[in-house]
Amino acid sequence: MDKYAELGMEVAVSQIDGELKKLWEQDDASTNASLMNLVVFTEKEGGLLENSRIINDLTRENACRAILVEINSEADPSIRAWITAHCHLSGGKKSVCCEQISFYLTGRVTGRFRNTVFSHLNSDLPLVFWWQGELSDVFTERLVSVIDRLIVDSSAWQNPKASFSRILESVDDNTKLTVQDLAWTRCWQFRASIAGLFDDSVAQTIIGNIEKVKITHHASDRNTALQILAWLAVQAGWKSTGKLLFETRNGTKIIAEIEASEDSAPISLVEISAGETVVRVSREKDSAHLLREIQSGDYHVSSLSPADPEPSADLVAEQLARGGKNSLFLKILPQFLELI
Amino acid sequence: MNNPFREDFVSRNRPEPCTVVIFGATGDLTHRKLIPALYNLAVDGELPTGVNIIGFARREKSDEEFRAGLEELNKKVSRSGQDDEIWGNFIQSVTYHQSEFTDLEGYASLARRLDEIDAGRGGAGNRLFYIASAPEFFDDILLHLKSAGLNQSKEGCWARVIVEKPFGTDLATAKHLNQVVNETFEEKDTYRIDHYLGKETAQNLMVLRFANAIFEPLWNRKYIGHIQITCSENLGMEGGRGGYYEKSGALRDMVQNHLLQLLSLVAMEPPTDLSADGVRDEKVKIIRSLRQWDTPEKVAANVIRAQYTAGHIDGNSVPGYREEDRVSPTSETEAYVAVRLMIDTWRWSGVPFYIRMGKRLPKKSTEISIHFKDAPSVLFSALPGGVPGGNVLVIRIQPDEGISLRMVSKIPGTSLRLEPVKMDFHYSTSFGKGSPEAYERLILDAMAGDATLFARRDEVEEAWRFIDHIERAWHESDNKPPMAEFVAGSWGPKEADEMIKADGFDWRRL
Repeated sequence: MDKYAELGMEVAVSQIDGELKKLWEQDDASTNASLMNLVVFTEKEGGLLENSRIINDLTRENACRAILVEINSEADPSIRAWITAHCHLSGGKKSVCCEQISFYLTGRVTGRFRNTVFSHLNSDLPLVFWWQGELSDVFTERLVSVIDRLIVDSSAWQNPKASFSRILESVDDNTKLTVQDLAWTRCWQFRASIAGLFDDSVAQTIIGNIEKVKITHHASDRNTALQILAWLAVQAGWKSTGKLLFETRNGTKIIAEIEASEDSAPISLVEISAGETVVRVSREKDSAHLLREIQSGDYHVSSLSPADPEPSADLVAEQLARGGKNSLFLKILPQFLELI
Repeated sequence: MNNPFREDFVSRNRPEPCTVVIFGATGDLTHRKLIPALYNLAVDGELPTGVNIIGFARREKSDEEFRAGLEELNKKVSRSGQDDEIWGNFIQSVTYHQSEFTDLEGYASLARRLDEIDAGRGGAGNRLFYIASAPEFFDDILLHLKSAGLNQSKEGCWARVIVEKPFGTDLATAKHLNQVVNETFEEKDTYRIDHYLGKETAQNLMVLRFANAIFEPLWNRKYIGHIQITCSENLGMEGGRGGYYEKSGALRDMVQNHLLQLLSLVAMEPPTDLSADGVRDEKVKIIRSLRQWDTPEKVAANVIRAQYTAGHIDGNSVPGYREEDRVSPTSETEAYVAVRLMIDTWRWSGVPFYIRMGKRLPKKSTEISIHFKDAPSVLFSALPGGVPGGNVLVIRIQPDEGISLRMVSKIPGTSLRLEPVKMDFHYSTSFGKGSPEAYERLILDAMAGDATLFARRDEVEEAWRFIDHIERAWHESDNKPPMAEFVAGSWGPKEADEMIKADGFDWRRL
């Protein structure tokens, strides 16, 4: 049995549009919905099947035309394509479906890949491009020029500095491009919780006098921890005075501690302290919640809030639901690159 | 104070930690709407840390009994279900305060309790008073809050009040209530809740009109023939609702507040900005520009009231209005109303707006339909059947929130035949994620000091001014316009059909 059978019906690339049309004509009880083109690109063997399962989940809340691409540049040049639809009941009644086109390309693919993708986009809908893994030669200026939202995960990169510099060049060329790093998305709830805690009048009193920041992270999520630190530093206007050392605007010295643990949630602790006041957001491994706390002498308040999801697919779903230009990420990026 | 970490979390105003005091805490609204809304905000991580909730009501209850009652209903109605860990954490912040609404000592002890909470946070704290009691206690609650000094905020903090509808039963009582409210709290700290404005589609109205370049140029008398706002309910007076409804009726219960609010959002001019007063300034101009139906003759010509007679809903037989539980057999309360409105502004001169609201109609639905004028028919008038209807833009408020546009298309084939087709956008199809409940959004807005989605004093009073003329003609004049009838399960009385037909239109079939 063909290992790609679960990708749907195999079709000739030139017949994709016609076959998709037939697919819809077979079933008039379903609604075809799409708010975006979502391209998922992988060079990992077997990634196509994995991504098809991800798209099945993702389309429950994010209507899109999904275009999945797996590339194997080692083999002889060839191209195969499949079409299918992921259908879900909406409100327990209506069947809402999203189209999926899958491509498996082998050989040298740069130009072929780009044209294959471009010719199957739904017109007028934004193009969200989820690039999985390291940036490769396929990542070219011409490809990026048509992307509206680029999703990457810097925690999977060997050399984040080099990769980000390529992306920043692309941002210069394509000003409408929004860049989303899943490492940054991974700490959204942590950042929202910290921001929320500093609305408290007790916590506000220490903003200018913070002395210590402690962040604990899983070994594979150092980039996320550094991005949190960069965010705190940029937003509070701290001056970098050395490796993990800062100074507040009023001259208070800040020591940052970044601790890795194999037995930790991606981020398990962000603790900001000054004197006896501690603002803390923590997460037990595998817990679905964050614990938000402020402790200052006898004063103690706490609450729970949702934790950031861990699977990349869930992070992408969060990101798609949230939208936005993500300009804050570009703002903290230079500080983050300095910390790496 | 500035919080530098708030950047990137600014797509809404910032809700601040506070103590929420709910008056009428043992009532249905608290159990079914307010606590589930606060809990779901906690689930989403939106509820600020340090929020305390105090339920204020007359019945003897311990904190534990109060919490158990809240949990029982929350499990049934919460949109996200119940996560025991979050609930356990959330409910610890909820306590009960027993007192008569008329007992000043109860407010004094409340003040002491609030001071204790504030003492834990350095002596200062924000307070949000939510008046969800029966309306007859509004005055007492407000006056006693003032007597206990609870209307005064501490330095750097705020004290706000949310008032549930009804905001009076006529202009005089609304003015009185507003006076009492404003003698207790400043208008900027007063939040009159109209949960319709918290609905996703109602909020999307401004986005649809002012963020899309294609609609606004057409949004005027030149291109729009008429506008209909329909709110239909298939329920009658189940669950003892007849007692309340007998005193209000469809006009006061729904039209004075929810439907006139929707009308003002549809018809208003673009606001200068999105500030609360920027938007409300424009909305109130619409209510103020309504042509007044100030004689019984004008009311008879422009307003139809009706009661349903026995009929069938969903295949089940249902009683007539006058046979319903807690309804007088000689009742003169309308269970259906249809109103023709004229807005005397430059933009809307000559464009009729029709509002209809009724109980025991075939299905539950609220929508606004914009009926555009027909295109000149010079090209297609000779075709058999001509041009089938004009363009209609429909904004569905509930259920199945969304927007559709009807247009005319050629039927495929060698001959030229035209048929209407519909472009349809469904929130649930395009955005799988469910919307928060209206109360969630509105409570958060009140914590953030954003009154955009709350009614201002002048809006409420202007709406009552319009409604009062009709009520007076119905109940106090010598030549009262008649009460029409319709069979339960039908789309209303023939008199309402005739009213709109006289202008050359038909009610939209939902």
